[in-house]
Amino acid sequence: MLRRRMGYTDPSSGKDILGNRSLCFIFICAFGLVTLLQQILYGKNYIKSAQQFSRLKGDETGNWTGPVNFSDDGSLKPARNGRKRYLENYDGSYEYNSTACRELRQEIMDVKVLTMVKTSELFERWRNLQVCRWEQSKEETSNFKMSLSRCCNAPAFLFTTKRNTPAGTKLRYEVDTSGILPITTEVFKMFPDDMPYSKSQYKKCAVIGNGGIIKNSKCGKEIDSADFVFRCNIPPINEKYSTDVGTKTDLVTINPSIITERFQKLEKWRRPFYEVLQNYENSSVVLPAFYNTRNTDVSFRVKYMLDDFDSQRGVFFFHPQYLLNVQRFWAVQGVRAKRLSSGLMLVTAALEMCEEVHLYGFWAFPMNPSGIFITHHYYDNVKPRPGFHAMPHEIFNFIHMHTRGIINVHTGPCT
Amino acid sequence: MLVRCYRGKLSVWAALCVLVLCWFYIFPGYRLPRDKEIVEEVLRHGEAWQKNQSGIDLYRKLLTECCDPRRMFAVTKENSPIGKVLWYDGEFYHSHTVNNETYPLFVQDNPLQLPLKKCAVVGNGGILRHSKCGRDIDQADFIMRCNLPPLSKEYVEDVGTRSHLVTANPSIIEKRFQNLLWSRKAFVDSMKVYGSSYIYMPAFSMKPGTDPSLRAYYALADTSSNLTMLFANPEFLRTVGKFWKARGVHARRLSTGLFLVSLALGLCEEVTAYGFWPFSVGLDEQPVSHHYYDNILPYKWFHAMPEEFVQLWHLHKSGTLRMRVGHCPGQEGGR
Repeated sequence: MLRRRMGYTDPSSGKDILGNRSLCFIFICAFGLVTLLQQILYGKNYIKSAQQFSRLKGDETGNWTGPVNFSDDGSLKPARNGRKRYLENYDGSYEYNSTACRELRQEIMDVKVLTMVKTSELFERWRNLQVCRWEQSKEETSNFKMSLSRCCNAPAFLFTTKRNTPAGTKLRYEVDTSGILPITTEVFKMFPDDMPYSKSQYKKCAVIGNGGIIKNSKCGKEIDSADFVFRCNIPPINEKYSTDVGTKTDLVTINPSIITERFQKLEKWRRPFYEVLQNYENSSVVLPAFYNTRNTDVSFRVKYMLDDFDSQRGVFFFHPQYLLNVQRFWAVQGVRAKRLSSGLMLVTAALEMCEEVHLYGFWAFPMNPSGIFITHHYYDNVKPRPGFHAMPHEIFNFIHMHTRGIINVHTGPCT
Repeated sequence: MLVRCYRGKLSVWAALCVLVLCWFYIFPGYRLPRDKEIVEEVLRHGEAWQKNQSGIDLYRKLLTECCDPRRMFAVTKENSPIGKVLWYDGEFYHSHTVNNETYPLFVQDNPLQLPLKKCAVVGNGGILRHSKCGRDIDQADFIMRCNLPPLSKEYVEDVGTRSHLVTANPSIIEKRFQNLLWSRKAFVDSMKVYGSSYIYMPAFSMKPGTDPSLRAYYALADTSSNLTMLFANPEFLRTVGKFWKARGVHARRLSTGLFLVSLALGLCEEVTAYGFWPFSVGLDEQPVSHHYYDNILPYKWFHAMPEEFVQLWHLHKSGTLRMRVGHCPGQEGGR
């Protein structure tokens, strides 16, 4: 009996070596192993990247609890400290071309990359520079604008228009490289005939970032006096904030993710969103509709909605090729990120559209230049996804451009 | 091994048997009288009609017992508080739980001024064309229409202008208004024809119908239209379906017209039905289009219109409701 059973079981067990059950077991083991490996690898990486991130952004928080902690600075320290005291005593603005200012500017230009110095060090140099009056450098600005118009040409390609995107074009998405949107007549109808703005059309433009730095700055009046005001991501500009951020808006970007989250993709109620837009009197609305496939429907719906409500507000869509070009342009300048912030996009566009560009509320560090902690946005403190935007790099870039006299970055309170 | 094989076959056979049984359940062997016979019967009966108060009362009682249209015909805050599970009547096993998002969309309570005196249920049958019933219909106190029918100038003579309750099928919204996902102006504008009537939508009957119906509500509310949205109560629809199934209407789903007639029978003192004619030939042997505005035939097995018509005709003969087939007598005495 036993023999017979053995005789019966033997071949089957031999078969079972690669039978269902053992195969299953092997698969499960392999899967488990791979998962474990991944966990270990990515886990470590994650920790590493987090460290890097904190070093980049906020490691100095410990150092920045007060001005007492300056003692562990480098050899440069005594001289600079001395000058600082001297400058503070001077109590007034230096001329742009004075030797002191030139030196201060050189100090900032010496910082070639953000990671070269501690953030506190950079902040101090930035603070020192504030005593110098900013002046536009004609040569630098025209050079910069020249290279911008060579790469990106905002006055023709900032938005998709009937002129630069004829019907029948197959529009390539910005990130979904496989995604292609054929421009049907339906879509084509939504485009404006031509770009509404021309080169250097406006004298003085203000680009308002949403950084917490703008809070309590009392810049509202100064912002409202600009000829053209850009804002990002439909920020609140009600009475609570208007003394700091002003109310004038000529162009406001909307991130489709906001519509998805706060307004259910406009598939349900539409009036609440319309009411929100009514706050920005005559401003046009810009959407990155062709960023990826998910954004398209939502963005088109904004256009349809405004048409339904008989609104005269212009609705524009960023041209994906323009955004790609801008991204490439800034990558050369050292701003590498998965995606540029909409603020940088607007600044890039503004540089071509305006003669003079002023930046308010652009500051992506956890504290302001004098070391006091600030919220992430002026209206809330919701941090973005880490690793998506390279904000500190962008800001560092702006600081450099300020120093070169191309743009004016306002970080302090306005007078 | 053999046993397993055998079993497998057995289950196949069992499934087949069940399928056949289902087939016979859905499409039973017995059939209605032919279309032609019905037409002849209608012709034989002629125009004579006698109101039968006891029949009206009986049907109102029956309907109130089974379905309670006064309370249940729409989803209201009263009969569907938050947390109430609405079982879809057109789906096999699907439900919607009333939550914070949907609850505010419901009306507080039955908004109709009960009891209603003279009701007119206007079907969309092609028989209405050139019937000159418009004036007749407009004289009723409460006028119900099906599936957002066109009320444009060319039809006014035949179908009238007023309306108090208009049903809208979610599939219409899907087909004609792109699900209301894009521009909603066309929808809102086309709804202006119905004045300040109630829009009655079976939002909780079919799974894909819920979102368009709610969207229709949002679209109307966003534009502060004076139309009121009512969502059909799936429970009411189911009980009405059962009611008619017991009386020999075998269909996957009743037509909107029959729902409205049941509703009217339960709510009104006198019901007149216009434009119910599911046959392709009219009384005068002339071909009749399916709808008075187009000739798009519905999905074949979905509704059992002739059966419904026979039931309604029985009611007509017994004097419970009045069916208007063919021309309406003109005010000037022409007929």
